[in-house]
Amino acid sequence: MGFDLSFALSTVPTILGAIGTTLLVALISCLGAAGIGFGFEMLRRSGGLSGYAVRFLIDFIRATPVLAWLYFLYFVLPFYGIRLGALTVGILGLSVYFSGYLAEVFKAGIDAIPKGQSEASRAVGLSRIDTIIFIIAPQMLRNIAAPLGNYFVSILKATPYLAVLAVPEMLGQAFDIASDTYRYAEPLTVAGILFLLLALAISQAVKRVETRLLGSNRR
Amino acid sequence: MSIFDIWLGILQGLDVTATVTGYGLLFAVPFALIFGVAQYLAKGAVLFAVTCIIEFWRSSAVIILLFVFYYALPVVGLMLSAVTVSAMVLGLNIGGYASQAVRAGLQSLDRGQKEAGQALGLSRSMILLLIELPQALVAMSPTFVNHFIQLVKATALVSLVTLTDMTFRAKEIAQIEYNPVGIYTSLLLAYFVVCYPIAILGRLLEARISSGRELARGL
Repeated sequence: MGFDLSFALSTVPTILGAIGTTLLVALISCLGAAGIGFGFEMLRRSGGLSGYAVRFLIDFIRATPVLAWLYFLYFVLPFYGIRLGALTVGILGLSVYFSGYLAEVFKAGIDAIPKGQSEASRAVGLSRIDTIIFIIAPQMLRNIAAPLGNYFVSILKATPYLAVLAVPEMLGQAFDIASDTYRYAEPLTVAGILFLLLALAISQAVKRVETRLLGSNRR
Repeated sequence: MSIFDIWLGILQGLDVTATVTGYGLLFAVPFALIFGVAQYLAKGAVLFAVTCIIEFWRSSAVIILLFVFYYALPVVGLMLSAVTVSAMVLGLNIGGYASQAVRAGLQSLDRGQKEAGQALGLSRSMILLLIELPQALVAMSPTFVNHFIQLVKATALVSLVTLTDMTFRAKEIAQIEYNPVGIYTSLLLAYFVVCYPIAILGRLLEARISSGRELARGL
């Protein structure tokens, strides 16, 4: 059984068709991870018991594999009566897993802002929430643009994990073809090549956006 | 089955997790050193070739790479065991990331280090071995610890290519016993128990290196 090139080429359109799902999963997971990660970081900063709990949770997430998280959510949520589709569970899994990393990004982004900024806004009478929204967040966004872009690429590279939950992203589609035809090498190689090209293109695009964003902000 | 039995069952997979991690290092460490140094020293076409190889291993998704090599290598006549393929793919993927740390560590050294070596009459390879690499590797050691944790976590993937690691054991237990909460919580905890001490070690290293740096500056 050699490598059948014409069969391989025939799988290209199907796998290519899943790029939309792959990108959508990556985008929503990145937003989800950023949201949870920002929440974690705010709780961690508030100190107290919840601060310590969140600190432990972040360490815990960073010390456990994304695959184990996907299985955990996929099998444990239904046990408590929460029935979600595989796609939703997958996005939730990636969001939770990467939130542990994004919390650190937010931490670095906030630490880089001079303390006088929040002190000044408190002094002019802004509330704590207003200080976060109007003073801290805009400055933080500029600081985190570059690492956030890198994590978007990391999340994109983690989307094929969703194939283990049978989500039809690129790798999932390749496995669908493989189980229909009993030929694994061709669809998987095609998925590998197409995904590599996609990841390279996206990481180049992210780099460009970064240089433009940061270039316009630097004096 | 008590939670204790579940734990014992999952820990039976620890030897496979450790084996794949160990063999993975055999690929990762040489790759990171050779290609990191090559990217630092090479110019022109060689630099381009080296960069292409590094980018191939770190730009794609590791789960796709694993499946492509697992299913496609036998088709082109290369029969490797699942352990070898897994160790190679996971190792070279992490090695690709670590090579960037090696290169960045070398590039961030003060130029005076190299010039002093030249002034003492050392050859280029001696400067690299005796002066540049030791400093770069020590400075980057916390990053290497992080990559090592990523490697341990990535071994969860080998459960998908029939190897009986901790994740595989957990899924096996899940087939004979309906206790998703106990089983998958134990799985996450098992990885945490393995990875967290390593993360602590990395933090200690980092604290030690940064305090050493301040000392050097103070003097």
